Amino acid sequence: MNLILKISLRNLFRQKRRNVLLGIAIAFGVMILVIANSFANGITDVLLNKLVARIAGHVSIAFSEKSNFNSPIFRDKEKIFSVIKNNNEGVREVEENVGVFGRAIGNGKADTIIIVGIDLSKELSAETRKEIEESFRMIEGTFQDLSRKDVENPTIVSEEKAKYLKVKKGDIIRVRYTNLFGNDQAARLTIVGILKNDNVFMQGVIFAELGNLKKLMGFRPYEIGNISITMNDAPKNAVKLANKIHSQLKPDIAVIYGQLKYNGKIINVSTLGFKTDDESKKVLEKKIKVINGEIDKVSSKKNVLINKTLFDALGIKPGESFEIVYKNKFEDKETIVKYNLTAVFADDEMTDKNIVFLSEDKFYETYYDNLPEDPKKIKDAFYPKANSSLTDILATEWILLKRTSTTDELTKKYKDMGKGKWKATIVDVQTMYESASDVLKLEKALNLITISAVLVLFFIILIGVVNTLRMTIRERTREIGTIRAIGMQKNDVRNTFILETFFLTLFASFIGIASAFVVMRLLSTVTFNVTDNPMSILLVNSHLYFFPTFLGISSNVLFILIIAVVTAYFPARRAANLSPATALRHYE
Amino acid sequence: MIEIKGLKKNYMLGETTVLALRGIDFNVSEGEFISVVGPSGSGKTTLLNIIGCVDFATEGEVKIGGVNLSGLNDKEITDLRLNKIGFIFQTFNLIPVLNVIENVEFPLLLMKKFTAAEVRKRAEKLIEEVGLKEFIAHRPAELSGGQRQRVAIARALVTNPDIVLADEPTANLDSVTGASILELMKEMNQIEKTTFVFSTHDANVLKYAQKVIKIKDGKIVDGE
Repeated sequence: MNLILKISLRNLFRQKRRNVLLGIAIAFGVMILVIANSFANGITDVLLNKLVARIAGHVSIAFSEKSNFNSPIFRDKEKIFSVIKNNNEGVREVEENVGVFGRAIGNGKADTIIIVGIDLSKELSAETRKEIEESFRMIEGTFQDLSRKDVENPTIVSEEKAKYLKVKKGDIIRVRYTNLFGNDQAARLTIVGILKNDNVFMQGVIFAELGNLKKLMGFRPYEIGNISITMNDAPKNAVKLANKIHSQLKPDIAVIYGQLKYNGKIINVSTLGFKTDDESKKVLEKKIKVINGEIDKVSSKKNVLINKTLFDALGIKPGESFEIVYKNKFEDKETIVKYNLTAVFADDEMTDKNIVFLSEDKFYETYYDNLPEDPKKIKDAFYPKANSSLTDILATEWILLKRTSTTDELTKKYKDMGKGKWKATIVDVQTMYESASDVLKLEKALNLITISAVLVLFFIILIGVVNTLRMTIRERTREIGTIRAIGMQKNDVRNTFILETFFLTLFASFIGIASAFVVMRLLSTVTFNVTDNPMSILLVNSHLYFFPTFLGISSNVLFILIIAVVTAYFPARRAANLSPATALRHYE
Repeated sequence: MIEIKGLKKNYMLGETTVLALRGIDFNVSEGEFISVVGPSGSGKTTLLNIIGCVDFATEGEVKIGGVNLSGLNDKEITDLRLNKIGFIFQTFNLIPVLNVIENVEFPLLLMKKFTAAEVRKRAEKLIEEVGLKEFIAHRPAELSGGQRQRVAIARALVTNPDIVLADEPTANLDSVTGASILELMKEMNQIEKTTFVFSTHDANVLKYAQKVIKIKDGKIVDGE
């Protein structure tokens, strides 16, 4: 063993009482620091992983059709799931996040509720199952009862909500809610289970089977609501996954390829929408030249335009009507839409193909309700050239919002978005680290408070370290003189004392960590009955929740070791700088 | 081996300047066994400290093995002490947390020149020579005064130094033990061919010395 190391370690046991007392003080400080940090981590873990992640996932894909946040719908489930499937590294669960606010009427009592869909068809991972079982403890019935066919709309309610609504298992609740299309609806829900949940914010939630709830809300089988993705090692993987999904969700130009029917003639046409925001209108006015028809502006929302090629083939006049028939992507059916021609336009880029040009308002009315088959598979469908100015003004399949990295950026994005009146479905890919970065800030604030408090504690302890070291150096002055006389260099003398403090702090830290685990274990056994208090959000199963992490503890210990070493450095240097002759002459 | 010319040493004691050495000149040749004799406060320890490079001259020149000490920095002086000089102290000055063999090995380990096996072998040889083979694992606190001084002698000789300086090595020992220590030093001087300079104020130990330097009030009064 290294000589200096050996001397330092053995010196630790020379002044046992003094070192033990100092060690206890350091261990106590470490214990408090570890407990406080673990508690702060625990709060973050509960808020982020057991609440935010459970509600919105580590990564979420949110939809909003026609600027309506009450229409969280995407019409092409296949498309979204194929993108997720291509990027499934680290993905634990993919859930469809469907919920609706409503007013529930029980036995003489009514209250606001949120109906949340649960997908019972999926195999849950052991970790998710454990989290669910910990969060929701069934008092009556099981989650599987939601798939019962013998009762009307089976649901599970919380114990508190059941008490408030004066209902029990087997009773019917009447619910009023607004469906995806803004229509008021009513439904009867049968209670098949009652659960207990410590989280006060989850007590208003009523659970229903996902498919059942989607039907009530007006979803068709190929349509989906918001998606939440939970991940393994979310801090490392979530942002990466969100960026990948985002890059693969870039929308194409939306095209309806079908047949135009007019006066016995049937011609294949590509129907396109033009954007109606101010910027796009300017570009459109410049680009398109009306050659037939009397209209105020090309960009008017009322306009139904056709290109000259189609006009020549049809022989139609402005003011006359025509039909477009196109095959739908789903359900093997056709959609027929009727339009009145307002004008004919000429454009160099749009001469080869037959084109119907609509404002995006008119275009999306048809497009989303009955998605057309994929025009990319049809050779004759019109797509503008890559560098064409048309690409910026044509309606797209959806609008993909840019990625953000903080809550502030996210808020700004939604604020900016609120200024426009979007016609297309908005798709937003985000992680909980931006949507809930305030929670992370809370963790940082808690840690800061903890560290500040502990710093005061350590300041007191370090005064002890300095005094102990001074006493030690005074007692060992002749010994310093001897080892210097024999030939030990100044640096080695200094390092001997620093190492002594380092080891004392290290051993005391280990004891402090062990004590912290014992105390946390004991505190975790205490039960708190505070289900009607928002503070219950910080509890798991009515118990305090600590979440110690290796990184957290290591950085705490490192921080303390650095402070101890820095504190020991100056007295140790003074000891090393003693003249050997003076030190040898020293007598206690 | 040691050349001293016009050596003076002053130090402050409160407001008073103490003239510890007032101009010392003498030379020591290789393998000599020299005693510096004088009453308490005569400057013996100061002289040995300066020769041993743990203290510095105020004036004059000290050369060890031809090297002038005044031109060396702290690191070089420390290396010189480690490689060329062995110390034996009046109060033994062993390191209390190390046992006998570890104390003896200590200077060799500082040199960082030898393997662990070589260090152990050399230390064991010295311990055997000073007659403490059975006490190899004992801590200093478990030894008698004479035994501790034997360990100190072994420690001083383990690096095979050019000079061993012993400051009143028998002052804390009874006369029989003191005599045996001087016998041992003399024996080691003959075995290892190491130069020994030791200070004493005990006239009885003079018979062991090849050469006696008498010092009084910081001056040599008799150099035979």
